[in-house]
Amino acid sequence: MKKLSINELKCFRGESLVLKGISAEINEGETYLIKGSNGSGKTTLLRVLSSLIKNYNGTILFDDKDIKDDLKFFQKFSFIGQKNALKENLSVSKNLKLWEILFGKKIDVNSLLQKYNLNTVIDKDISSLSDGQKKCLSLLKLKLCSVPIWYLDEPFVFLDSKNRSILVNEIESHNQSGGIAIITTNTELDYKSDGEIIL
Amino acid sequence: MKSLYDLINRDLKIAFFTSSNFLFTGSFYILVVVLIPFIFGSDSEQLRVIFKGIIWISISLSILLTLERIFYSDYEDGSLDLILQRYNSLEIIICAKFIAHWIINCLPLIVILPFLSLLFQLSFSDIFPILINLVIGSTGMVFVATFVSALTLGAKRTIFLKGIILIPLLVPFIIFGVDPHSWPILIALSMMSFVISIYASSYGLRLYGE
Amino acid sequence: MYLKLKKSYFDVLDRFTPFLVITTIISFIIGSYFALYGSPPDYIQGDSMRIMYVHVPSAWWALMSYSVLAVSCTIWFITRNPIFNLVAKSIAPIGAVFTLIALVTGSIWGKPTWGVWWVWDARLTSMLLLFFLYLAYIFLWQAISNKDLASKISAALAMIGFINVPIIKFSVDWWNTLHQPASISKFSSPSIDESMLVPLFIMAFASLCFLITMFSVRLRIEFIETRISRLRQKIYD
Repeated sequence: MKKLSINELKCFRGESLVLKGISAEINEGETYLIKGSNGSGKTTLLRVLSSLIKNYNGTILFDDKDIKDDLKFFQKFSFIGQKNALKENLSVSKNLKLWEILFGKKIDVNSLLQKYNLNTVIDKDISSLSDGQKKCLSLLKLKLCSVPIWYLDEPFVFLDSKNRSILVNEIESHNQSGGIAIITTNTELDYKSDGEIIL
Repeated sequence: MKSLYDLINRDLKIAFFTSSNFLFTGSFYILVVVLIPFIFGSDSEQLRVIFKGIIWISISLSILLTLERIFYSDYEDGSLDLILQRYNSLEIIICAKFIAHWIINCLPLIVILPFLSLLFQLSFSDIFPILINLVIGSTGMVFVATFVSALTLGAKRTIFLKGIILIPLLVPFIIFGVDPHSWPILIALSMMSFVISIYASSYGLRLYGE
Repeated sequence: MYLKLKKSYFDVLDRFTPFLVITTIISFIIGSYFALYGSPPDYIQGDSMRIMYVHVPSAWWALMSYSVLAVSCTIWFITRNPIFNLVAKSIAPIGAVFTLIALVTGSIWGKPTWGVWWVWDARLTSMLLLFFLYLAYIFLWQAISNKDLASKISAALAMIGFINVPIIKFSVDWWNTLHQPASISKFSSPSIDESMLVPLFIMAFASLCFLITMFSVRLRIEFIETRISRLRQKIYD
């Protein structure tokens, strides 16, 4: 049973204590929300969980292995942050070609873009897209690798209601195949989650 | 190593797709060199001396102006996060940056140099020592520029600050580069900056993650 | 690491400051007397040589300050004790000013001697690059908003700069001998007369007292600023 256990996680950013002893156990197939006001450390928590920040107290175990010791942990999660990893001055198709290299697989552009109904923008520059469209593109990264853990930093921002429900479906099917999703949000999100971490 | 090849490939593709492709860097060098006779007059003897020097100015300018592109542009749009996530080894990422950046910014000058030297009536044997020094010196400069770029990721987009940090570090390469007999010293400098750069750049990237 | 900056460490500085100021003023007075009256003018350069008494100590202390900066950064890097960070931050502007004084006085010395305001002498050029290294350190603090990150990055750059100082010195010396084989650097007198050594050392001592005084004042200021920002964080936490 692949579960993510966080035990007494404390993290300093500079000289202030940002994460003050967080504990949670997230079983496979569950979605957790991280709620907190602006600046309360939600993004910090996600960065610790994706082992970008290595300087913390406490332990994080995935599948009973400490993520600090697990050299292959980086292959087990996908992090969609607030920046989109899209080059502004290139077109959508060129950006997807760059992603092909990073993810190491051929991308069937049309079927991928179909997910969020983005086929019409395939040759447009990223800079001419709306924020919502860019966010949808960024979320398409989730379809490019099948990993057990999804870390989503404020994924519903900018999305209209149609795309929101598409994303919710995506997360639900991820859960059904045994994946874990951890989502940060600062608004009262109308989402039925299996648990919450409140910062 | 597939990941090394992949990352280099990605950087080359980005350079090719955006305006900083080889044609443009090549034209930059040509245009700078073409300005020389207009500034200094058309006395061939003098021009030859100046040309050998201006080569080094143009390569230093190129390194200085493209400093941002090494890590900052990936950092800005979040691609750096993606790269750090997909590739566990910082050293591979840094080495890929070295090679890609050198190919995009230094290789055009080295390729064009023989043709440019024709403009100044210099034969290939004349510029061959310069070419060797340029190859070695430019690799050293790329190593230095990479770690400066990696360490200053947290600073805002200020070319002045990063330039002030970079220039004193480039001076030894320029000083020894201009002298045709100093290629052993240049090799030593480049190797030393390679080692420093690997440590310093990986430190900078790790700091970025924090 | 959250190490307490004890107020008591810095009260020591407070008590010594008046003593330092007085020592500085007295030694400057004595040094100036010797420099301007008590020593003979140079055989060739005449009275314009006297600016050496300001130029040479400034250059010495500029270089020494950079070493202090780099060593302090290294110790901070290893132990993360915030005092060393404050020491480095405090000495940087002082070292930069001394470098600037060395450059300006070197330039002023050059004018009557060679008739020009600047020469690309090995030592002046190295001093100029050292000035850039100082500027880089100081500006880096301004440019990075996250102060913890700023201290790490500037420490790393200070250490790399320190490795580069001998390289720059070596390469600039080498470059200078290559391009000016005939002229002997006017700044390195082969043998200094005893009567010139005394005022030189007194002025050097005076500059050192000045450096230490300014350094302790700056250190106090940096310490107070750090305490204020820490207290501010506590209030809003």
